Amino acid sequence: MKNLIKTSSFFILILVLAPLLTALDVNIRTSDNEGFTRIVFEADRSFTYAVQSRPGQMQVRLSGRAAFPAKTMGWPDSMLLERLTYEIQGNESVFTVFFKGNATIKKSFVLEKPFRVVFDLEKSEKAVGATPGSAVSPEKKPDPPQENPPAPSKPKPIETICIDPGHGGEDLGAIGKSKSQEKDVTLKISLKLKKLIESKTGLRVIMTRDKDSEVSLNTRASIANNQLAQMFISVHANSSFRKSAYGSETYFVSLQATDQESLELAQKENQNPVDPGETIKNDELKMILWNMAQTEYVRESSKLAEYIQNELNDLLGTRNRGVKQAPFRVLMRTAMPAVLIETAFISNASEEKKLKDEEFLNKIAFAIYSGISKFIYYYNNILK
Amino acid sequence: MTKKSRTALLISLAAFFVIALLAVLLFRKKPAGFEPELLNKAGVSGAVLTQFIKVKLFYFSETSDYLQPVYREIEVPEIREELYKKFIALLLAGDSGHITPVPDGVQLRGAYYLDSKEMLVLDFNELLGSSFPGGTTAELEFIYFLVDNLCYNFGEIKKVKFLIGGNESKTLAGHIDLEKPFFPNFDWLKGE
Repeated sequence: MKNLIKTSSFFILILVLAPLLTALDVNIRTSDNEGFTRIVFEADRSFTYAVQSRPGQMQVRLSGRAAFPAKTMGWPDSMLLERLTYEIQGNESVFTVFFKGNATIKKSFVLEKPFRVVFDLEKSEKAVGATPGSAVSPEKKPDPPQENPPAPSKPKPIETICIDPGHGGEDLGAIGKSKSQEKDVTLKISLKLKKLIESKTGLRVIMTRDKDSEVSLNTRASIANNQLAQMFISVHANSSFRKSAYGSETYFVSLQATDQESLELAQKENQNPVDPGETIKNDELKMILWNMAQTEYVRESSKLAEYIQNELNDLLGTRNRGVKQAPFRVLMRTAMPAVLIETAFISNASEEKKLKDEEFLNKIAFAIYSGISKFIYYYNNILK
Repeated sequence: MTKKSRTALLISLAAFFVIALLAVLLFRKKPAGFEPELLNKAGVSGAVLTQFIKVKLFYFSETSDYLQPVYREIEVPEIREELYKKFIALLLAGDSGHITPVPDGVQLRGAYYLDSKEMLVLDFNELLGSSFPGGTTAELEFIYFLVDNLCYNFGEIKKVKFLIGGNESKTLAGHIDLEKPFFPNFDWLKGE
């Protein structure tokens, strides 16, 4: 009997430990290309990760334990990469990549089948600042302001913010069970937010609409770009086929593999002389680049999303659905840090009731304002 | 503990360990390359012998944010696109106790597989655009319900593009860019 209990205990222990045995099978590849060096983290399944760049190195933290054959490896022949160290810290696998001199992450993207996270690095004369990864942890508080500037070439302190109340006019947006319309909720929150920002910061606020009017997605992006806004905040209320879905979430744009293909094609084409007669082809290339105006602001957008989502969590007390990425049409064409906030589910009866309550809308506006303020502090400080 | 019982304990421990490891290895292989199982079952349709495959369909439920699996069998027609159409018809028919994130009355007009792009183009009737309930989450639920189910069951489909009424549409209801094809996001199948 005693033996049986012991055997059973071991069996249960093994079952409990079984998931830990499924270590992530990670393979790292590098290649030198014209003007950049590529490093690829490939795994047998998808993983979440965070990236931090420091002078002379970058650190990639993978959630879970990775099966990696060596604790260190070197690249004597690489143009930019010197060596890599690997260690397990808690339930994270930490890969530190050391550069030969200074380098910056020119771009990064994720590919599927097999799952790959790709970083293209280029030589940099200056030290680099911190860069959040594409997989962000909404539970974590934002990092303290970092020392160096983000991607935009000549950024200025933030002076103009564009608020975009979702939907409007004949586009009602989602409709709740008791007939609340998303377009009304988003306008109310946006007007409250405008008032808060103007009164508390004195910054210039422009709106893509300030009344019940229909504005196309392209026009919304154009308004923000033409007015030289430095931040784009799109306010929405969510809806799901699952009536029980609830909570708030903040999105920034995702760069799909197809976008990456388009961008690479455009860059490749731009490097070659274009036949003056091929104006149509040239215009198509310009359109690709216009459609991807958001590409170089993705890092800042993820930071902005993180700050806002943290404030929504703290101030609303609703379910934290986190910071997420998706290919939003309105965000893709904005040339500035841009996020889309899904404040609550209008399709959920309980949240629809809350969205009718002015006090709840005030709380949402204040949470967004707080997140924006923290981002402005972060952004303006790193410019110093 | 006697020597005999210690030996028995060690042997059973080793056996459990091997079984657990094998089970774990088997489970982790599935999401990357699930192949529909060709069944040794043949029916007669007219005078022609027909074959069936076992497919794994994923549906939403009120109790989970992720898609839940259900097994079904479908007949394999001669033309590949017909198989995809049958598969989608099965998906749209729904499953009791589960949620199908597709508005009522929405139907597939056509399915076209482009070999060179490893892409499946799905053309839905205009009701998809006019009756879509709105909401970012609802749009993502619809898109990945179809993309993940198709890419999971048919390895040759790497991406899916959506048409409405035979034309490209900018979005379903004002959020997600529908002009570009979608790659699967198996995060929606968490737990698989």
